[in-house]
Amino acid sequence: MVAIDVQDISKRYETLTALDRVSFAVEEGEIFGFLGPNGAGKSTMINIFLDFVRPTEGTVRIFGHDCQQDGELARDKMGVLPEGYAVYDRLTGRQHVEFAIDSKDADDDPMELLHRVGIGPDANRPAGGYSKGMAQRLVLAMALAGEPDLLVLDEPTTGLDPNGAREMRNIIREENERGATVFFSSHILEQVEAVCDRVGILNDGQLVAIDTIEGLRQSLGGGTKLTISVDHITDPVLDDIEALHGVETVWLGQDGHNIEVTCTNDAKMDILLSLADAGIDVQNFRTEEASLEDMFAQYTGEASTPDGR
Amino acid sequence: MSWQAIARKEYAEIRQSRLVRYLVYLFIFACLIGAYVFPLNTTGDITLGGFAGYMVTAVSILLPLIGLLLGYNAIVSERSAGQLALVLGMPHSRRDVVVGKLCGRGIALLGAVVIGLVGAAVLVFYPYGSVTVTSIFAYLLYIVLTLLFGVIFFGIGLTLSTLTRSKQLATLSAFAVFFVFVVIWDEIETGLLFALERLGLAHGDLPAGVVFVHQAQPIPLYDRIVAGFFEGTSMSTYFGGDAPWFLNEWAGLVLFLLWVVLPLSVGYRRFREVDL
Repeated sequence: MVAIDVQDISKRYETLTALDRVSFAVEEGEIFGFLGPNGAGKSTMINIFLDFVRPTEGTVRIFGHDCQQDGELARDKMGVLPEGYAVYDRLTGRQHVEFAIDSKDADDDPMELLHRVGIGPDANRPAGGYSKGMAQRLVLAMALAGEPDLLVLDEPTTGLDPNGAREMRNIIREENERGATVFFSSHILEQVEAVCDRVGILNDGQLVAIDTIEGLRQSLGGGTKLTISVDHITDPVLDDIEALHGVETVWLGQDGHNIEVTCTNDAKMDILLSLADAGIDVQNFRTEEASLEDMFAQYTGEASTPDGR
Repeated sequence: MSWQAIARKEYAEIRQSRLVRYLVYLFIFACLIGAYVFPLNTTGDITLGGFAGYMVTAVSILLPLIGLLLGYNAIVSERSAGQLALVLGMPHSRRDVVVGKLCGRGIALLGAVVIGLVGAAVLVFYPYGSVTVTSIFAYLLYIVLTLLFGVIFFGIGLTLSTLTRSKQLATLSAFAVFFVFVVIWDEIETGLLFALERLGLAHGDLPAGVVFVHQAQPIPLYDRIVAGFFEGTSMSTYFGGDAPWFLNEWAGLVLFLLWVVLPLSVGYRRFREVDL
């Protein structure tokens, strides 16, 4: 069954087109990453799911319910971490989660949810005193209330430290294993790559690619960039490596000690083995999944930087 | 039907507000003081109607203040800051938000009016008056009327809150409503009379049509209804006994009820249509 069915969605403001005829579908049980630079229209799309924003054209159905006509039904089995939220300063973390449970007519234990997202000890403090990261965890706990069939998370890892981001990914996986479909947006490639079954790339209001991570990588050929530091190297060995199955390109760095290879993930071991067979000592090697990063940059027309910004 | 969850949350939040609490105390205090002083200042019979009339001025300053204060901020600040994104991300409709806010915050209004006026009744009638079934029933109607009077201003505030994204604009317009309706409304009458006399359109009294429009504001309407139904006097005093029908208390009641319903429905309709 289709969890999210987006058909020809456009959203135009007076002078700006935020979304331009976007169509895609997310299957039940998937973890779907919605990727794109800031300002690409990701949040506008999510806000249409939530009926915060009404599309100029097109329809979105969630589990068969039209997000604009039957918004309450569409949101009934949804857990949401929206963009640009704020918590109630005067209410405690616990009161927030109780409100979510009450709103969804669920019977979760609020403390259990708060412990799960790691803010159990702060449950009875007013949320006005929470840090950005704690507020983010609190809203995640609210989203998890009522065992939603679909989690919609808008930039869930912003405001979290690396440890928090990892916990967030673990929770996303756990929820997915429980049976929930997960839709989350990010402008950071690594966040999406680490957990997603499929990704859609949005740029300037248009969906420019939609595929599995593997598929996207294949479409660019190879995928992994391997940098190997060796004590010495000879041309015949370089030729042998280039002839290996799955290897795209091989070139030698100017210092004569670093070989850079782009290849499929499976070919990495073969390369190292053939170097060992030729009696070449591998001092160090590292892999970069640079081509996906490059591809993202190519699709979105942005120079890629390590943190994706 | 999930407005109850919003109402409960709203109530939990509003009880933490010191300003609202103090205003509620102030209203209760004003009712009790009024009830204590009224019998001492009154030469004739101590009646409920007399007390209701005696309280009109205090009520028409304090309840608009409390109502507007509860209302003007109810939606706009949550909308601009972002709490509303959390609420509407859950299975709530925009109507649930308006109804939940109205009920959750309305409890402050309900508490102030009921405690204040019941307390006042005890002070006035226990030592002085005679209590009959009719007088109790009339007093209950008076409480309901006064509560609705507060709801009108709460509704106006809530409507201002739904109409704009700017908290400053909402604050400013709530202040403007208070200033125009409460502070200078009577002066407008004087000004109108002066202007119409200059133009030769009025002589000593305002034409009935102009009075109708000027008095179609919640505060004069409340005054007229209290006077007509509970004190037994009417607008006819203004015209020496032959006021047109549209200035009587029944017409006033109809207009008063329109004030309860209209601003809220305008605000709700607009809020339902706009992007968050």
